[in-house]
Amino acid sequence: MNKGVGKMKLVSGKTWFKSWSGMMLATVLAGTTVLAGCSSSSSEAGATTADGKSVLKVEVFDRGNSPAGSTISDNYMTKLVNERFGEPNKIDVQYVPIPRSEELQKLNVLMASGGDVPDIVFTYDQGTFNRYAQQGGLTDLTDLLNQYGPNLKKFLGEDTLSYGQIEGKQFAIPGKRSVLGKYASYIRQDWLDALKMPVPQTTDELYNTLKAFKEKDPGKVGNGLIPFGMTIAPAQYEPLLWSFVQQPLTDEQKYTLTQKLGSSDYPTLLPGFKDGLKFMNKLYNEGLISRDFGLDEDKKQLWQDVQNGKVGFYTEDAGELYFTYNGTYKNLQANVKNAKLTPADVFTNNEGKHAKPEYASNGLYIMIPKSSSKAVEAIKYLDWMASGKNLFDMQNGVEGENYTLKNGVPVAKEDASTEAQNRLYNYGDMAIIANGKVAGTEEQNNDAYIMQVPEEYQADMRKSVEISNTDTIAPVNFNKPIEAEAKYGSALQDKYSQLIVKATMAPTAQFNATYDALLKDYMSSGGQAILDERTKVFQEGGASK
Amino acid sequence: MKTSTYLRRYWQLYFLLILPLAYFAIFKYGPMYGVQIAFKDFNFFQGINGSEWIGWDGFREVFQNQDFYRTLRNTLMLNILDLIVSFPAPLILAIMLYEVKALWFKKLSQTILYIPHFISWVIIGGIVYQVFGTQSGFINNLWVSMGFQPIPFLTDPNYWLITYLLTGVWQSAGWGTILYLAALTGINKELYEAAEVDGATRMRRIWHITLPGLRPTIITLLIINLGNMVTIGFERPYVIGNVAVQEYSDVLSTFVYRIGLESGQYTLATVVGLFQAVVGLIFVLGANFAAKKTTGEGIL
Repeated sequence: MNKGVGKMKLVSGKTWFKSWSGMMLATVLAGTTVLAGCSSSSSEAGATTADGKSVLKVEVFDRGNSPAGSTISDNYMTKLVNERFGEPNKIDVQYVPIPRSEELQKLNVLMASGGDVPDIVFTYDQGTFNRYAQQGGLTDLTDLLNQYGPNLKKFLGEDTLSYGQIEGKQFAIPGKRSVLGKYASYIRQDWLDALKMPVPQTTDELYNTLKAFKEKDPGKVGNGLIPFGMTIAPAQYEPLLWSFVQQPLTDEQKYTLTQKLGSSDYPTLLPGFKDGLKFMNKLYNEGLISRDFGLDEDKKQLWQDVQNGKVGFYTEDAGELYFTYNGTYKNLQANVKNAKLTPADVFTNNEGKHAKPEYASNGLYIMIPKSSSKAVEAIKYLDWMASGKNLFDMQNGVEGENYTLKNGVPVAKEDASTEAQNRLYNYGDMAIIANGKVAGTEEQNNDAYIMQVPEEYQADMRKSVEISNTDTIAPVNFNKPIEAEAKYGSALQDKYSQLIVKATMAPTAQFNATYDALLKDYMSSGGQAILDERTKVFQEGGASK
Repeated sequence: MKTSTYLRRYWQLYFLLILPLAYFAIFKYGPMYGVQIAFKDFNFFQGINGSEWIGWDGFREVFQNQDFYRTLRNTLMLNILDLIVSFPAPLILAIMLYEVKALWFKKLSQTILYIPHFISWVIIGGIVYQVFGTQSGFINNLWVSMGFQPIPFLTDPNYWLITYLLTGVWQSAGWGTILYLAALTGINKELYEAAEVDGATRMRRIWHITLPGLRPTIITLLIINLGNMVTIGFERPYVIGNVAVQEYSDVLSTFVYRIGLESGQYTLATVVGLFQAVVGLIFVLGANFAAKKTTGEGIL
């Protein structure tokens, strides 16, 4: 609001230019506001197209990866939807792109704008969903779902649907997540072989292996060697930290000491969390993990280091490195002759188990804003997606061109034409009712998930998925939202990252002091409020599953 | 001349003025309507009018938030340091360029100095990472290969401050010279010639002619800078900053971004914005008053 002060530069050549450009800008902006005014009022009045179709606006994540010839709002998938769903129902489905990386910010702005918000919006962030619901911004879908969504209800099932209910009312349609496993570890087999060491099976063995990597440098990397690749993204630190949580936990501990920020459970207050940080601190001070891990939020640096053969061990979303779009393993093999990464399950907890978190059984929270007059059409659209072969076709493309069926499971064709491959570039963001491939039974889903990666990696992929499903810790849920989490969630995620980075990077002697100071900051920034509210709800019997 | 004749003769000029005036009315004064959000429990599904008045509760909540004080302190600290380090840089650079006699060299160096101004902060962030990182940065790679410990330019708060400030100088100093160079063309050349005849050295000429000639520009810029003491651009601290140095890099603009756009607490974000505007106004008026008192020159 006060940016104008800075822009008012005075008498000089610069001013002259600025005021002229300002004027031109004003002209252009004034013009567009007028235009925008017109267009929004006209769509408001009719919400129909020229040929009498009703318009349904649906949010879609824009990851900036549209292949040449298509855009995120006009591609194979949008045509498929309009052909199969739009034509027979006289609905024109339009897609409103939202940049993936700024999803929450843009969604907040759209919701605040009222009239221009799409009829179907979604987010992974539970706190945001709760806040919208509590502020009365969402359509109650309970009856609509019964009336117009029989296929959708059947597809999702009671368990998944319950994630979208607040005090008995269905305010969101949660997507169904078919693969719940999250993480697996990967280690350089060729380095182990050179050192004649086995794949480590416990945290202690891993520590010795990392030491050996550092001292003996079996890959002849030299200066840039990173025994344990680390970032400040969950996939790298979560498996380590959760394995330090002292099991078994009582129900009370589980429910009250966990903090759910955004869409994941955080172990900040659970017993053992501090020991996990202390171990990270030790690894850091002995030069065993990436020195700049605190700068690497999007894992780009880590992937680059892995691909260049500098990293000995790391944890990752299970199988991420095998996917064609990621290409980490393929590039590593191209860059370093004989490089081999083996999936491993390393971190052990006090019970000797390979404990690691898993996903809740829901994916996106799909919501219909209260201001939308198209709730019926929206439910019909989602119901259409859940019925017949629609979801399957959206996820897999055309049989014979994109995939072949093997025991009812679609296997991606290696030699699919570019045109065929381009059909599926955004299927995950379009087929919003499911997260992960849906082929039928749980086993078939897993198979379908595994068979997405090139054949040479499928055995490793299978092992990764198995590891990610071993000894998992399920997220805990209350049957009513924790308000403090909606309020402080985003700010606390920042504090949490800060806690991890600063405590890890502190000199050994200052670890305790650093940890205490940061935890205090975390608690006073909302951590305590969440703890108090969780304790209260737990005592009232609000623990659900 | 009668007013009506005057208006009839110059109506085109007034007509042209409509656009800039409309710009300020629509984009600067219009949005002030939203200031009331600071005093309401803003629920964006109910709109501004539908939300309840809560008086000063929003202000109370902000002033009790320790992150507010920390980000305010950082904003002031980064701005003051920037004022000390970055403010004189374009001035010195402009005087040096002005003294250069070879025209082609002057033009060339001016162009090279401008270029960083046109690079987006996001890209600069990437460059900074590649240059100063402890693991992948080339300065540290060189340093380590000579057998020293890596220097944490980006992850140690104090080193980070230096990185932040110098990046700022690099990015903006060249562009900042434009104002001074424009002002320098206004200085009468005869003054220099006369001084030269009187045997004044180059330093003397700079001290007695160039600097006094630049005084109004310097004061104007200083007042504007002081007015911006509590506001800070979003991109530079956000892009150059990281989790490890957040105790310094977290400023009011990133704080507003977090509570407003990320957490949807528009009331608190508006409170902070209003606070910045009011303090900014006080600073501008104060600096202007001080400048008038001491040098007799001001902008208002």
